[in-house]
Amino acid sequence: MAGAQPANFEALEAQARTLLAIFIASGYEAVAPDIIQPAGVFLDVVGETLRGRTYVFTDLNGEEMCLRPDLTVPTCRLYLARHPQADREAFYSYNGPAFRFQPVGANASHPREFRQAGIEAFGGEDACEADARTLVLILRALQQAGLSKWRLQTGDVGLFDALLDDANMPERWRRRLRDHFWRPDALHAELKRLSTEPARSAAAFPRSLIDALDPEDPAGAENLVAAYLDEQGIELIGARTAAEIAEGLLGIAADAKAPPLKPETAALIESYVGTHLPAAEVAPALRRFAGSAGAGFARAIDAYERRLKLLADSGVDVASMEFSAEFGRNVGYYTGFVFEVIAETLGAESPVAGGGRYDSLLKAVGAPRNVSAVGAAIHTERLLAVVRGAKA
Amino acid sequence: MSTHLTFAVPSKGRLMEQTAEFLAASGVTLRKVGPERGYRGEIEGFGNIDVAFISASEIVGALNSGRAHIGVTGEDLVRENIVNVDERVELVKPLGFGHADVVVAVPACWIDVNEVADLEAAAAVFRREHGRLFRVATKYINITRRFLSRHGLADYRIVESLGATEGTPAAGTADLIVDITSTGATLVANGLRVLNDGVILKSEANLVLSKVADWSDAAKAAGNDLFTRLGLPNRV
Repeated sequence: MAGAQPANFEALEAQARTLLAIFIASGYEAVAPDIIQPAGVFLDVVGETLRGRTYVFTDLNGEEMCLRPDLTVPTCRLYLARHPQADREAFYSYNGPAFRFQPVGANASHPREFRQAGIEAFGGEDACEADARTLVLILRALQQAGLSKWRLQTGDVGLFDALLDDANMPERWRRRLRDHFWRPDALHAELKRLSTEPARSAAAFPRSLIDALDPEDPAGAENLVAAYLDEQGIELIGARTAAEIAEGLLGIAADAKAPPLKPETAALIESYVGTHLPAAEVAPALRRFAGSAGAGFARAIDAYERRLKLLADSGVDVASMEFSAEFGRNVGYYTGFVFEVIAETLGAESPVAGGGRYDSLLKAVGAPRNVSAVGAAIHTERLLAVVRGAKA
Repeated sequence: MSTHLTFAVPSKGRLMEQTAEFLAASGVTLRKVGPERGYRGEIEGFGNIDVAFISASEIVGALNSGRAHIGVTGEDLVRENIVNVDERVELVKPLGFGHADVVVAVPACWIDVNEVADLEAAAAVFRREHGRLFRVATKYINITRRFLSRHGLADYRIVESLGATEGTPAAGTADLIVDITSTGATLVANGLRVLNDGVILKSEANLVLSKVADWSDAAKAAGNDLFTRLGLPNRV
């Protein structure tokens, strides 16, 4: 695809002014984060999966840089540059280019260069309220730009986390299940493994050493590992310490002794992950099958319900909103509510807008602690295409 | 429209010698034309074939762009450098030389990590202790990303390494590596160990055909003649 045609350029500029005006009028200060970003921030924080979609290059100083693949991380960095302690509430809006490699070739709905108009809210205290406010504002901006019909796809990563937190299992199992959430087959396999034979093939590990380790004595465990390596003539190289290796072995030992995950817990997680319902039917359905799953999950359902009510009160058509438990895991940093706005003419593969809650991202980028954060961005070229198509 | 078929052959080293030997076994003789250090050649008795002597990694690019119709290069390079391999090229025949395994190797002292699945737990503790992800040094960025993603590992970062990759864990610039090995001796000498399920690809030199080259009638005829001589079924 060639770059934006002159006529498109004018129309995109006009559309951007409309969108930004709404954001600014709602109290979101317009900012312009750097287009060229240090690659390390993206790769260390978001992980390698994003690298496959990011233009990474080495500059003449040998530093690894990238063209920003989205504006969320750059806006987080801008916020932290202004408020290193992350102790202020802040509302930002932006309109600018983002760049993504398209593995099967770029086309009109998946361009390698596109403009995002969006908002990010940091530090709010009431998460449900901030989530609802974000979606409502995005929908209002879309409407103002001429979008008259859409479909809302939603998810809530926080529900899955709460379900795992309540379930009785070692923390490292939770971590593994979270890691596998975005790949249904792997999650299914892991649940099956944990509920039948959780021990990793312990035969492959140094048995006598594992038996000698005492979970209550980490310092002693570290010494035993160091002594074992010494005796085997294995040099300790790299950044990983003997203490970390000891912790790894203790985890293996604990897995070998741990009772398997209860089948009903595995079944509960499976049925949650398989949940696809109209958004309004989710809370009753989850309460029904979770039964007495736990207080944390119950609270997460309450929060879900409250957010839905806030959305309905603001005029969002929640009756036609859809919910899918699996939705939202493909972007690693989401931690709560997630949504996409889909126009029928472009389909679910090319949403015109999307966003969600990402409470742990700011800490990963350098904030002293987790900071409540929610944001969303509009894919402006797609929006323009849909609006124009509707007029034609 | 091309009236000739372009055959890309490694320009130096063992790979060039072994390619010549493979062809010679079927009575096909490569000859350089022009100056002694030139990069063009021909095959005796195949007037419609131009031989281009280029480096094995550039051969992949030539096949992917269609500048060469066929070529000899390593499967590792093909899988690393072409995104949609099956649409762009066909691996016609493994040639039995240029063997190299692409493997995941970790420091031998990681006695709590035997399989790729064990990396996840180690990565989580590492991130907590060091505030960063595991760094994986490799020149096989795409192969590594595909392999680790298939194993569900997300907590890592690739650092591109164009030489002496085995030394990076000891030097502290990476935590583990993905690299080629033939005997494993270099890995052992650098205090590394291949994970039990860490062989990503058993690579060797292949005769590779470009699906996107200009396959004119003349090029097809030349290709089929050559394949017949090499005892291969006609492909084009």
